[in-house]
Amino acid sequence: MSKKVLMRGSQAIGEAAVRAGCRFYAGYPITPQNELTEYMAEAMDGLNDGTFIQAESELAAINMVIGASMAGARAMTSSSSPGISLKQEGISFLAAQELPAVIVNTMRGGPGLGNIAPSQSDYFQATRGGGHGDYRTIVLAPASGQELADLTRTAFEYADKYRSPVLILGDGMMGQMMEPIVFPEPIDVRTFSPKSWILDGAKGRPSRIILSLLLNPPEQEDLNWRLARKYEIITREIPMSESYMTSDANMIVIAYGTAARIAKGAVKRVRELGLKVGLLRPITLWPFPNRPLKELSRHVREFLVFEMNMGQMIDDVKLALEGRGNVHFYGRPGGIISTPDEIAKTINSIYHRQHLEED
Amino acid sequence: MKRVPFDMGDIDIAWCPGCGNFKILDALKQALTELDLDPEKLVIVSGIGQAAKMPHYVRTNVFNGLHGRAIPAATGIKTANPELTVIAEGGDGDMYGEGGNHFLHAIRRNSDITNIVHNNMVYALTKGQASPTSTIGFTTPVQVGGVTEEPFNAIAVAIAQDASFVARAFSGDEDQTKDIIKEAIAHRGYALVDILQNCVSFNKVNTYQWFKENTYYLEDSHDPLNRIEAFKRATEEGKLPLGIFYRNPDKPCFEDTVPAYHTSRTPLFKRKVDVRKLQVLIDSKRSG
Ligand SMILES: Cc1ncc(C[n+]2csc(CCOP(=O)(O)OP(=O)(O)O)c2C)c(N)n1
Repeated sequence: MSKKVLMRGSQAIGEAAVRAGCRFYAGYPITPQNELTEYMAEAMDGLNDGTFIQAESELAAINMVIGASMAGARAMTSSSSPGISLKQEGISFLAAQELPAVIVNTMRGGPGLGNIAPSQSDYFQATRGGGHGDYRTIVLAPASGQELADLTRTAFEYADKYRSPVLILGDGMMGQMMEPIVFPEPIDVRTFSPKSWILDGAKGRPSRIILSLLLNPPEQEDLNWRLARKYEIITREIPMSESYMTSDANMIVIAYGTAARIAKGAVKRVRELGLKVGLLRPITLWPFPNRPLKELSRHVREFLVFEMNMGQMIDDVKLALEGRGNVHFYGRPGGIISTPDEIAKTINSIYHRQHLEED
Repeated sequence: MKRVPFDMGDIDIAWCPGCGNFKILDALKQALTELDLDPEKLVIVSGIGQAAKMPHYVRTNVFNGLHGRAIPAATGIKTANPELTVIAEGGDGDMYGEGGNHFLHAIRRNSDITNIVHNNMVYALTKGQASPTSTIGFTTPVQVGGVTEEPFNAIAVAIAQDASFVARAFSGDEDQTKDIIKEAIAHRGYALVDILQNCVSFNKVNTYQWFKENTYYLEDSHDPLNRIEAFKRATEEGKLPLGIFYRNPDKPCFEDTVPAYHTSRTPLFKRKVDVRKLQVLIDSKRSG
């Protein structure tokens, strides 16, 4: 059994990445996620069998990750919102060429340069593909130090299993918070099963060609069908969510990441007042955990979506509910962090407006 | 201090006490004043960084845009309204790292913009990572074992690509810096002014004292029209020369090659559409 260590969130991702066998990291400085870059720099330096590169730009960094991935390494890059926009070209190519990679986005207020405060402004960008073309990326949304570590491991596993880019969405608050974490045992990279598609020299076998230029429409269609089938499997296999006090609830709050931590505080508060309110916390944002929401909609009518933006995940909630129930929204954009009290008040007012029954 | 038209008066400035940026700010405002420029006819464009905060401290038109993208935005401004004096300003990370590709192509295009680069050999705003101009061996929390890449020699690159004006200054010498900036702005075409600047917080190697001891001015006899000589001086080992390395007054300025400005310098937003010419164009694309 590993023991508990107290660590900042951004460092937890770094440590978990190294333990997951990540041996290549390329990045470019941007606040508020430089601690992760520093961690990777130091880890790769100390390990002596990993590569760290500070690139000349985010575009360079993501393309270095593309290179490292096709050369067989478990590779990662990280940035914050404006830098993630620049990486979208590479993410589209990772998806098209079916290359595994892990990309960490420490979201900040936007659009444009915005600020460096915690935000959930990039939900659309992350869950709708982000770059050009017909593709999806797996998106994981941790909400605690332990989950940052666990989902970083999961991210590398999914990336390899589904040969797909995987995004981890966090924010500056999660990056800074100190929590006790139990790390999984490090993986010995030599035990990975060989990848049949990497570029590792064509001695004794035909050359492998990795590309995404498919000028012949039927060939492009084939790729798109293949991706679609893969996305269907992913949608079946990996949706994840946490249900908190939902079994007797007649109102459900839906929030992820930092917002979910705040929302949980609010749910605890209103429960003390006798309101039967629960929390559904999506852990995978794509694929979205539709099923638990659909099931809740059998006996719950009121849903409150809370996000640190002006309303993005609410679209997925509505899609999952397929018109059942009333979907309310509360959000603060621009890097403002709501208090549990604020959410509790909102819950309270909806609860009473809808004449929901108390304990 | 005497008030100049570009002065903002008593404002909060985000730089650390002792930062070389203060001297660059004073030198720039003084240069603009001595050139008798009208604040209404000036635009300063910057990216992101400590250096890129500069235009906030100058009373004039300002666009504070994306990290690395000051040069293309400046090019857009200049070519949409050539009546404006346009300065693109930022740090070495901004201009040579993230914006490095734009830097190369700005030289080729030769739009009439002045490119002022505060070169502190470090990423200051993001708290001390190596920049493209950091020296070999420079250690930071990210460059744990020290920088191994060759520092980017912007002066040599610019001369190699026949940039129309290439100069290096040192923030510690406000007067000379001001004179160089004046010449750069007065020059028609792309002008690079790389200003060595001490960062008191994140660069403990290339300090004010280090720059004092490791720079000297090009001799009066240096001929800035001699490209080969300029390149030699830009690549010589040892101390870093300061002053105007090179100019090419014969290079056509981009705005002069744009047909829209062959007969008039009127900014694009003030022009009326010539419907007759448009009709000719439409007719030429019609099939049959
Ligand atoms: C797209 C994008 N990437 C990264 C950043 C983070 N960032 C802000 S300023 C900066 C560089 C600072 O260094 P420099 O340009 O040399 O200016 P200085 O602060 O040293 O004056 C970086 C990387 C950003 N704001 N946007």
